[in-house]
Amino acid sequence: MSAPILQVSQLTKRFGNLVALNGVSLEIREGEIFSIIGPNGAGKTTLFFNIIGLQKPDAGRVLFKGTDITGKSPHKICHLGITCTFQVPRAFANMTVEETVRVGAYKRYQGREMSQKVDEVLRICELEEYRHQRCSDMGLAHLRRVELARALATEPVLLLLDESGAGLNPSELTGLMDILHRLNEEMHITLCIVEHVMQMVMSLAQRIVVLDHGEIIAEGSPQEISTHPRVIEAYLGKRVVC
Amino acid sequence: MTETFLQNLINGALTGCIYALIALGLSLIFGVMNVVNFAHGDFVMLSMYLTFWIGVWAGMDAFITPLITFPALFLIGLLAYNALIDRTLRQKYVTQIAVTVGLMTFLRALAQLIWKAQPRALPYSLIQGSIQIGPYTILASRLVSAVVSVLAIAGVYLFLSRTWAGRAIRAASDDLDAASLLGIPYRQTYALAFGLGSALTAIAGGLLMTFQQVDPTMGVRFGLLSWCVLAMAGLGSIPGLLISGIIVGAAEAIGMSFWDPRARSLIVYLLFILVLWLRPRGLFGRK
Ligand SMILES: Nc1ncnc2c1ncn2[C@@H]1O[C@H](COP(=O)(O)OP(=O)(O)O)[C@@H](O)[C@H]1O
Ligand SMILES: [Mg+2]
Repeated sequence: MSAPILQVSQLTKRFGNLVALNGVSLEIREGEIFSIIGPNGAGKTTLFFNIIGLQKPDAGRVLFKGTDITGKSPHKICHLGITCTFQVPRAFANMTVEETVRVGAYKRYQGREMSQKVDEVLRICELEEYRHQRCSDMGLAHLRRVELARALATEPVLLLLDESGAGLNPSELTGLMDILHRLNEEMHITLCIVEHVMQMVMSLAQRIVVLDHGEIIAEGSPQEISTHPRVIEAYLGKRVVC
Repeated sequence: MTETFLQNLINGALTGCIYALIALGLSLIFGVMNVVNFAHGDFVMLSMYLTFWIGVWAGMDAFITPLITFPALFLIGLLAYNALIDRTLRQKYVTQIAVTVGLMTFLRALAQLIWKAQPRALPYSLIQGSIQIGPYTILASRLVSAVVSVLAIAGVYLFLSRTWAGRAIRAASDDLDAASLLGIPYRQTYALAFGLGSALTAIAGGLLMTFQQVDPTMGVRFGLLSWCVLAMAGLGSIPGLLISGIIVGAAEAIGMSFWDPRARSLIVYLLFILVLWLRPRGLFGRK
């Protein structure tokens, strides 16, 4: 078993009276594909935002490779090697696909090396033919790839993906899953995926945690999770997601 | 009649290029960090006084002074950002307005203190003479000013579209959170945008001093002018900004000649209201 790359302990986030995260603890191991599932409003996005620095937790700690990154700014966390995609794509509307990816790559590269990095990322995300297209002219499936591409350009060690399969048709989904597999196997990027598409979670993830009302209610392999009584009750039972 | 009209149209359009340059600075600041900078016009006034100083002391031509005033205003912009603006970003809108209005008042009072209330002008510029085309006269200083403005605007356009820092500014103005996830530090990016936005007034100030005088209350006029140009253009279109600058400049000159020279700011203001009324997003704006 490999070493933990991200350790979240007792993370709590409140919005007024609402406790969005209530003492969440979890560990992501180097090189794995980890998944967080849970019904709408469970706190998955909030968990990502508090790890990545877009929100500051009220209590708890986040350690990345053993260093405390709790409450650090997103750009610093990005430099350390973690980045994240948004649940609803937020592409830079006034930029082309290539420019968007460039913005991500500038952090570590310059000149020709950067152009190579941009080309590489566009190839991995199968966006080469769209490189000069404006982001504002693209459909959902491609926008999700643009988000993925610009995140990859920052060369993350750990990549958090928030529902990147939502709204995709079966063939787009297969394409995305292939890409994610390659990122993990060939580029050795640790992935943490929040997902509603169970097909994707079950075939990609090695370990899963289930979040409900801001608390972790189950943890285990895909097989264990799909048969877990509390999961079925809290999640699969209430709302059929397939 | 037609001749006077066209003559004023030409003069106004040429001056309008400088207005577009001023508005571009404002647009960088407003578009990137959503700060309504009421002091922008007073940065123009400050630039004009600095140009005057350098012109008198160093005998430098107003066209050349931006070599000194551009970096100076950039630093002043950085200072204003770090000392004032950065602290108000997470505050209420009213606080932001109070702070920039305060800065505006401060700059005006400072100008009155240092340079007294009387208008100042530089004796003459190296660039003299005029070009005669049929019945129309084009002053060389106005023509050069317009050309320099357009070049400066093109320079900013290239900076924003080709360089890392420029793309960072655009990304941050589009979606600050998304930009920060890509490693773009918001503070440096905002400071750069504010510094550059302020520094552009240095070029405009130098150009304006080649054909007009400066007094401590001028800031209001340039503030209003640049808001009018920006409202007409809308955010996000640099060519649109240039066209709007030219329209506002021409309208101002024609209005002054056919109505009353004292109605100068009134004309701009009416145009501003008209735009807000008919096209709240501007003629070329994307958002
Ligand atoms: N910025 C916010 N302000 C107030 N409440 C929020 C905010 N963000 C999320 N919430 C609330 O926190 C809970 C968790 O939301 P979220 O993390 O988006 O859930 P999920 O991603 O699992 O669907 C929800 O009840 C949501 O309404
Ligand atoms: Mg969510």
